[in-house]
Formats: sequence, C-alpha cells, structure tokens
Amino acid sequence: MSQRWKPGRLEEHDLHALLDGEIGNAEKVALLERLQHDDYQRNELCELRNLKEMVKTAYDDLPLPPSLQAGDDATDHSRTGYGLSWLWTTAASVLAVLAVIVGTGLERGTRPEAARMVLLDPDGKGARPALPGDEEMRIVFHVSGDDPEKSDEILHEVEEMLTTYGAQGRKLRIEIVAHGRGLAMLRQGLSTQKEKIAELSRRFPNLTFVACMNTVERLSVEEGVIVNLLPEAIPIHSGVAHVVKRQQQGWIYIQV
Amino acid sequence: MKRLTTHMTAMLMMVLALLLAGTASAEDKGYGKQKVVYHINYDNPKKQAGAMRNIQNHINAVGAENLDLKVVLHGKGLSLLLEPEALKKTKLKFANATDEMQAKISGLKDQGVRFQVCANTLRGKKIDYESDLYDVTKEDIVPSGVAELARLQAQGYTYIKP
Repeated sequence: MSQRWKPGRLEEHDLHALLDGEIGNAEKVALLERLQHDDYQRNELCELRNLKEMVKTAYDDLPLPPSLQAGDDATDHSRTGYGLSWLWTTAASVLAVLAVIVGTGLERGTRPEAARMVLLDPDGKGARPALPGDEEMRIVFHVSGDDPEKSDEILHEVEEMLTTYGAQGRKLRIEIVAHGRGLAMLRQGLSTQKEKIAELSRRFPNLTFVACMNTVERLSVEEGVIVNLLPEAIPIHSGVAHVVKRQQQGWIYIQV
Repeated sequence: MKRLTTHMTAMLMMVLALLLAGTASAEDKGYGKQKVVYHINYDNPKKQAGAMRNIQNHINAVGAENLDLKVVLHGKGLSLLLEPEALKKTKLKFANATDEMQAKISGLKDQGVRFQVCANTLRGKKIDYESDLYDVTKEDIVPSGVAELARLQAQGYTYIKP
C-alpha cells in the first residue's frame, strides 16, 4: 500500500484515524472531501475498514466470559491512535491473546462454549438476549428506498432518540447505511436533507452516515453517473454486507 | 365397589382428556416460542394486505399460543388503521381500514396480535386516534414507533419488515 503513496495523498495513519473516529468533524470533512477525488485511496479506506471489521469480528467470536463480553469490542479498546496498520494489528492480537488468557482464567471449570450459549440465548428460545439497561444501544438503519418523506421521518426520529439518550446519559450508537436507491439521501445532487445531515453529524459524534460504494460504482458503470457524496458520508464497500455484519454483531436493525 | 371403579375410571378419563386438551392448546409446531415485531411504514394498500396475510400465515405455522406478535405502525404505515371517512381531515394520503381490512385486523387481534401506533405520527399527520383510527385505545399508543422497534428488538423480539 505504502509504495502507492504520493505527495498530496493522505498518509495511512490519517485513514486509520478517520476510521477510528479519532479526529474532529471539521478535519473529517476535509479528509473525506479529498478522498472523493481519489478512487485509489477511497478503495484503500474500504479495505482498511474491512480489515478492521474482520479483526473485530474475529475478536467477537472468541469465547469470552460474560464479564468481558458485556464491554465493547476490539476497535473501541484500541481507539487511542495507533498510526500504522502492523502496530494496530499487533495491538489487537495482543488484546485477543490477553482476552483468551483472562477468559480461560476466569472460566476455569466451566465450558466457555456453554457460557457463550447462555449469553446468546438465555431463555433457549433462539431469540437475541435482552440488553441490560446500562449497555450501549446500537442501531443500524438500512435505507434502500428514495422516498424523501421516509428518510425525513427517520432523521427526525433519530435526532429525537440521540437527544433523549444524551440527556439521560445513556449510550447510543446509530449508523444510517444508504444503499441502492436509498443512496439518494447522501448524494450532493439528490439529497433533500443536506443541511439536516450536516447539522446532525456536527451535533452527534455517535451518529454515522455510511454510503455503499457498490451502488456508486454501479451508477457510474451502468448509468454513467458521477456520484458526489455528501462530506458526512463514510464510504463502505458493500452496504448489504455491512448491515448483515452489524446484525451478527448484535446491532438492532431497522429498515427504512 | 363396582360403582367406585366406574367412578374412578370416569375421573381418570376426565384427567386424561384434560391433559390431552392441555397439550393440544400449547402444541409446539416445531418452531418453539417466538417473539416477533412487524414493521409497517408504507401506505400501499396491497403491500399492507400482503403483510396481514404474512402475519396470519406466521400464526398458522407457529401457533397463536407460541407467538408474541406486535405490529409497529408509524409514518405512512398508520394508513392501515385510518378509516376512509377520516382521510380528508388528516395529512395521510391513504385510508386503508375498509370493512374488509377491519375484519382482517380484528381477526388478528383475536389471535393475540397487538398493533402499536406512533404518537409522533399522530401529531405530525393530524390524526385523532379515537375518532379516525379503527379500534385503537390509549394502550396501543407508543411515544415513538422507531424507538419502540429498537426497544422490542433489545428485548429479544425478531424484526420482520414484510
């Protein structure tokens, strides 16, 4: 990756900082603006994000005791700014190994797999477990249609939830994933909610807008449309794969 | 003695019958118990009728006794319960609670289905639930349909959007 770096391009640690949410909104906007004109680096960002998600997913799959599973996952522990990917990966592996050691230590005498099943399916009904009151609520909204009335309503509801949770000091993370016709919401030329999206992004660091790059590519290949995304939109390779993964990670899913 | 035996046999039969009835009503059709939330935020009457059919088929497959099923309505979805006479008063574009639809909804309610109505939408679309909506009481109103969808899922309900 690094040999493709040239003057004017973002450094890799900028990309990591971007993905890990370590930079302020103004800087984020500037970085994303630069990325919009750079297909190669946008792909690189996608790849990095995928890599991080894979590490995170692998980490999630480790048998952990409930005391550790209740906390957040790998990326959140490592949100302290590791600049280089090898360092990041090493840190994640060290964490993973530590987690296994701690896990086996605490779980001595019981089968970790059984403990995990209790956690995943406490009443044996195959349903997802209830969230304990103090745990972070994570919701992914999947926008696949271009009805402005619906997206308007969702932004309104999301704003209300973020405000309420903030006022009550409860933890909430929301991702709005736009894909297919839903991408209109995040396109410069088509979005009817540009100001609202900018305002909400400024006000709530726990709200993320995600744009499906498969859709962007399809539009450019099939319809010759050059898609300009809003600066708030974080590009991801596949919107569908992303919402599936989020559900696997226990996020609440709502289709708009 | 003979009378006592007949008596006991009769009682045994009754106990057996009761036991059988008990297992029949809580019959597990192979799906176990389910908690499900259906999400409707569109006003296309065909799509809504299709969703009601999905729900009935769901109940048939799993058994009403094994199913805790809620339908969360918000935005345009409220048109499902909007009576045609009330359409003009409101800001909705469809009123789909025709006699036929009302019968379907009532049938589903008899099987334990709960319809939850979003208060934000009632305000935004200028709907009076008492006079404009079919068979909605105060207990059916939730502050926010979207927040209710999240809350139910956090409680272990499975999300379905037909």
